Amino acid sequence: MKRGGGAFLAGATSRLLPMSIPFRFFGAAIVFHLLAWLALLAGSSRLPRFAGGLDWPLAALHLVTLGVLVMTALGASLQLLPVATRQPVRSTRWPAAIWAVYTPGVAAVALGMGLGRPRWLGAGAVAVTLALLAWAALMAANLRGARGMPAVVMHGWAALGALAVMLVSALALAALYLGLPLLDRSTALALHIAFAAYGFMGLLAMGLSYILVPMFALSATPDERQAIASCALTVAALGLAALAAFGIAALPLRLAALALGASAVALHLHLMLAALRTGLRRALGRSFTLVRIGWTGLAASLLLALGVALDIDAASTSTLWVLVCIGGWLLSFLLGMLQRILPFLASMHVSRSGRRPPTPSALSAQRPLALHFAAHLAALAGLALAIVADSPALAALAAAVGTLGAVALAAFFLALWRRMHARPPKAPSAKPPVA
Amino acid sequence: MGQVSQTLDTEHRAALDVLGRLEQALARRNRAPEGDTQFTALASALVRLIEHDTGAHFDFEERELFPRLVDAGEADIAALLSEEHDAIREAAAELLPLARAMATGTLADGDFDAFKRGVMEIVERQVSHIQKETMALLPMLDDLLDDDTDRELSMAYASA
Repeated sequence: MKRGGGAFLAGATSRLLPMSIPFRFFGAAIVFHLLAWLALLAGSSRLPRFAGGLDWPLAALHLVTLGVLVMTALGASLQLLPVATRQPVRSTRWPAAIWAVYTPGVAAVALGMGLGRPRWLGAGAVAVTLALLAWAALMAANLRGARGMPAVVMHGWAALGALAVMLVSALALAALYLGLPLLDRSTALALHIAFAAYGFMGLLAMGLSYILVPMFALSATPDERQAIASCALTVAALGLAALAAFGIAALPLRLAALALGASAVALHLHLMLAALRTGLRRALGRSFTLVRIGWTGLAASLLLALGVALDIDAASTSTLWVLVCIGGWLLSFLLGMLQRILPFLASMHVSRSGRRPPTPSALSAQRPLALHFAAHLAALAGLALAIVADSPALAALAAAVGTLGAVALAAFFLALWRRMHARPPKAPSAKPPVA
Repeated sequence: MGQVSQTLDTEHRAALDVLGRLEQALARRNRAPEGDTQFTALASALVRLIEHDTGAHFDFEERELFPRLVDAGEADIAALLSEEHDAIREAAAELLPLARAMATGTLADGDFDAFKRGVMEIVERQVSHIQKETMALLPMLDDLLDDDTDRELSMAYASA
């Protein structure tokens, strides 16, 4: 049985970045997660029928996408890819510099959107773009020298291609608010949405899954050919979506893109579920329940995208698509993975100090995670109901519940940090590891 | 998969089976079960597992396999696995007297929490360690051991 995770673990200790590098990305993601729910609370009265424009719902969306999803992906990829591709960590200064430019950039974008300040938005967009280009250069150097894990590498290259389209379309949209029409708004928006969600973030999430899911489930590496086929189908779907965005046979190409995308997702989920089914470790706890919910959200998002393409109940369907794709799929999936990765990485860092290392579960505070789990799901369900029922009050309640969950997740992160630095390490819990 | 890899993998699977059943059995217990022969049998299996893993299994890997990893330029993974062996040995040494008492029905009521805590720690450390060995060590053995060496080591381990 082939177990490609060996490539991931072998040499892992020498390829770990200093703890402060990935943890500053993950810590910032935790803070932006809380700010996203607060921004949504501020804009909850407009949320159920939100149709775009500079306002707090748009700020909340970008606090989630740029602040949580991309921030987490940057931290995870900077740490995981050098290990997975058997490449040395080339620099610790560049990741730190990227964080230092990217983080205030995201804050400026969100404030520019929330407060209706196009110049802040423009400045933030430039900072975010520069930081992501620097990250892309690091990733490209890593992928060029990659050994092994061809499916992960292909997903990495495809994600970088999608990033380019995402950035160009994002700058075009920001420029429109500054009175500089670089690209037709509907074209830029269609490109931005497809290439940000299913392209850049989707491909990164799916690619990293081929490392993380077999590692945690203790299963064989998913079939490389099928994983590569899934990636190729996703790229083809994005290509058709791009042509449709320029108005070329828009409806037929969108439907064809959705069919290809659905095939890619079916293949990916088949590989992921097979890994979980055949893994030696079946009980993966609450964090993997979030991952499974995320996968359900991915499939559901394609159905909603079909509804959007066919213009079915346009106002609520498009808002629901955003909720299900970004909140249901990407946010649930990444927060589930983050709850696994953080204690795992923390225990590896602590184990280098020469003491009997604490277990990952001894570093994890379970109560905040349980509260976050319940609040996250209740908030998503509440937002879905608010959109369907066009209820601002329900949207406000759901955003408040989401805020509570974000506070709980922050408490988990703080407890983890405190326990990592505790001397001597706290005695392991008598409770089973459920994170 | 070579004979050595196969043997280690089989032992890993057996260990995961015992540990998984123990984890489930203890998950909702806050006091020692009285007259539960199934649980007593599990505790006995745990005693055998600790004695075997901290004895023959770990010693074999450290004596015969880790030096080969170092020679092959994979000193990092050998050091990581050795460090985990030490941590498991230390935790197992604390748990073993309690596990023996549980297996013979002589565990004091006041010691049940320590037993449960010790089992959960061993479960987590072993699962994490087996994850790393299954994903990193076993695939490398196919490159590190030629057929003759694989056969010799396998026979030596079986007869030890």
